Amino acid sequence: MFSSTLRAASKRRGLAPSHRPILKRCSRCQSSANFMTNTPVKARNSPTWRPVSVLDEWVAKEARPISLRQLMVFGRSLTEARLISSANYVRTELPTRIAHRIRDMQQLPYVVVENPHIKDVYNLYYNAFDTFRKVKEIKTLDDNDRLCEIISDNLKKHLTVIPKLAMGIHECEGLFDAKEMDRFMNTILKSRISRRVIAEQHLSLSETYNSPHFSPGAKLSESDFIGEVFIKCNAKSVIESCAAATRKIARSTNAPDVKVPEIKIEGHLETSFPYILSHLEYIIGELLRNSIQAVIDWHGKHGHPEDEPPPIEVTIAEAPQHATIRISDRGGGIPRQELPYLWAFSKGPHSQQRLANLGRVPKMAATMQELHIEDDLGRADLKTPPYQSSLATLTSRPPDLRLGMGLPLSRVYAEYWAGNLDVHSLEGYGVDAFLQISRLGNKNEQVITRASMDAV
Amino acid sequence: MNIIARPGPRLFRLPPLRRIAQPWSSPRTLATHTRGGSSHSSTDYEVTDADIRTLASKHLHPLSLADLVKHGRPPLSEQSLLSSANFALSLLPIRLAHRLQALRNLPYIVVSNPNISKIYDTYIKSLSILLPYWHNAAQGRPIATLEEEIRFTNTLAQLVAQHTDTIPILARGFLECKRYISPAEVTRFLDEHLRARIGTRLVAEQHIALHFSSQPHWDPEASPTPCPEYPSFVGVIDTALRPATVVESCAGFVADICELRYGVRPLLYIDGQPDATFASVPMHLEYIVTEMLKNAFRATIENKSKEPVVVTIAPEPPLPETEILNIKGPDKEIGPFRNDAIRPLDDNAPGVTIRIRDRGGGIPPHVLPNIWSYSFTTFSDEDEMPGSSGSDGLHALSNAGSGVSSIAGLGYGLPLSRAYAEYFGGGIAVESLYRWGTDVYLRLKGIGKIDDKK
Repeated sequence: MFSSTLRAASKRRGLAPSHRPILKRCSRCQSSANFMTNTPVKARNSPTWRPVSVLDEWVAKEARPISLRQLMVFGRSLTEARLISSANYVRTELPTRIAHRIRDMQQLPYVVVENPHIKDVYNLYYNAFDTFRKVKEIKTLDDNDRLCEIISDNLKKHLTVIPKLAMGIHECEGLFDAKEMDRFMNTILKSRISRRVIAEQHLSLSETYNSPHFSPGAKLSESDFIGEVFIKCNAKSVIESCAAATRKIARSTNAPDVKVPEIKIEGHLETSFPYILSHLEYIIGELLRNSIQAVIDWHGKHGHPEDEPPPIEVTIAEAPQHATIRISDRGGGIPRQELPYLWAFSKGPHSQQRLANLGRVPKMAATMQELHIEDDLGRADLKTPPYQSSLATLTSRPPDLRLGMGLPLSRVYAEYWAGNLDVHSLEGYGVDAFLQISRLGNKNEQVITRASMDAV
Repeated sequence: MNIIARPGPRLFRLPPLRRIAQPWSSPRTLATHTRGGSSHSSTDYEVTDADIRTLASKHLHPLSLADLVKHGRPPLSEQSLLSSANFALSLLPIRLAHRLQALRNLPYIVVSNPNISKIYDTYIKSLSILLPYWHNAAQGRPIATLEEEIRFTNTLAQLVAQHTDTIPILARGFLECKRYISPAEVTRFLDEHLRARIGTRLVAEQHIALHFSSQPHWDPEASPTPCPEYPSFVGVIDTALRPATVVESCAGFVADICELRYGVRPLLYIDGQPDATFASVPMHLEYIVTEMLKNAFRATIENKSKEPVVVTIAPEPPLPETEILNIKGPDKEIGPFRNDAIRPLDDNAPGVTIRIRDRGGGIPPHVLPNIWSYSFTTFSDEDEMPGSSGSDGLHALSNAGSGVSSIAGLGYGLPLSRAYAEYFGGGIAVESLYRWGTDVYLRLKGIGKIDDKK
């Protein structure tokens, strides 16, 4: 490690002659040691050389994983002591995890991190790290309030991370091995989910605690949220609300005479499981969005305009350990040339188009209000967070905005909660997407799997 | 558009190939030729280690459908027939030697098992029959007359017949050797062996089929005329194979068994594009479809579902012209199709995807990781009962040779089917919605060059 060499070097210079034996062996080191200082390296753009020893300390720590079940159990009976304890967990977890990601970014090729978008993300991360690491131990509710302010501030600032990363990746196409790139993206996105879950959960708990009609130790009813976790996500209602929202978007962006396909739901309609609602809405939204657009396009080319386009069939299957949602469309399938890039963040030959689209994703909350679409996601009767949900800008973008990362990002979310996302294409006919959800919160939860996912 | 499988006799007419399984007894044999290889050199020629080593060190030619059709459509001219014979001769001994090599590398105690050693001996015997031809060819005397060709084809027929029961016998052998070899090693060996076997049999059967369908070759002066019976066939390949027909006939066959065994006859619908056709080996498709339908029907019955099994046939659209023809412009490979792979059959037929969807309740999560292995870790008396999903695959495999037409005892149908599907660059994927049903996706490629699988 560079920094340890620095420290060793400065130590060596102060050594008494009797300790010279070490120097005899590395006499070359000694002479070069005199050149190693903390002065910044003068390169073209003079990247700031920050003192790295602080980062090293945090990189050396390990992330403490947490599961959905733990999140729920923790929140069930909320007391001041628990809230403070949660605050301290957040206070140390966040900078630890961010430190790891910063280290990852530091090891990317120079040319990649110099890309303006990636550089922005790097700076955002570094500033967040700096901010969080300086927070002192939380002892009172006031301390917690201050922490919550810092957290929401950061959440807001980091809303643009996903589009920026994606843009950066596309621009760096060819400069970096695609597999490495995908691995990096997967890690950083998984980590982002972890951190936001931890942060948002804490904010939500704090808000609950501080709300006027809350009494410590009160039992929460089933229709409630425990923080961000919706205890009883009913698959059918989530699908229905996503379907309504995506159909509406499709309706508004296609010509008036174009028929938008119906979405039929069958299977075990009572299925429910605890989940983070915004995640589920994002995944299902992406899958439905892909299906609807494919059916509209295919039907436009191959079908009669007077005929109804074939409906999209959603099947819900409930088993003891998981629930599976299958979305079957007849939208003509995926061209086989595109299959290799389906799950990759770097899209190969189709990069340029994606790049142009990414620039059009509304980044600021203000823009979203203009579209008035967020309301239709059916969250009016459910809990609306005071802070901007990180997925909202993506979930409600117009369907012709093909970003090329819906599938890989959805898969990151699905796998995050020990689930799975897979897609089978029948080229010339349609696509079947399978979302498998692990029914955490039940006694058989595999904490080991979750822990390994979450320790990032 | 929706076709329900009707009960009754199989609709699909099989090529005469099936009769090859019997030793050569056609009256068309020349009178002077004695039956079997016994008068020839099988017992005279001893295979040496050096032979095996030399042959095994040679490159294994990755077989493509184009290879099999490059000699032309039957009836073949004498020259083409001889060329086909020599082509087969150039491949087979090498393939046999590779298999022998693999067998020899198994642990001693495994190969000592009587069943495994029986297979080993069969391979040695087959190689010893072929080597004289091989050596002749190496010395500049390839198969040059029709007489020799007939003798050679006869030999091939024997080869095919001798190796028909390889799989059940190997299975029995590995089962008996459970203690001495790990399941992972067995899976690895069998995966490779079965795939290689597909290729070897295909080369042999293709030549035999071409021979049979080239009757006019008996008169060297006759000019080739289109074969009236199966105009779309080139040996064992049907260039106009209609998957829906295969599905219908296999469904009828499997439904018959269900009726016999369970008293219930599940329904089957075909949708998508039932009239799609593509070029493939009917035998392979039949095997795969039968296995898939066995699984689907059995699950449907056990789950007491009244819902039909739905088979969707989706032919792939052809790639746009600009992507296949790279005659002008930069010399770059831009897609899976290469110009030189498109031989006598000009129509570059893309493949087909077949989805089999049932409402049989899906595959239990604890079974799911094992569906692709020749699993023999769940050995129990349950094997006797129909439909035990944890049934011992290899055990069932070894029962299969007994000829009893049973629908239970599955466990090898999937890995073998996958071997067939992947052989020409396709594949099989299985998705289970536990407590609802299962979807199986079968992708098959048409004519084209395969990725080097071996």
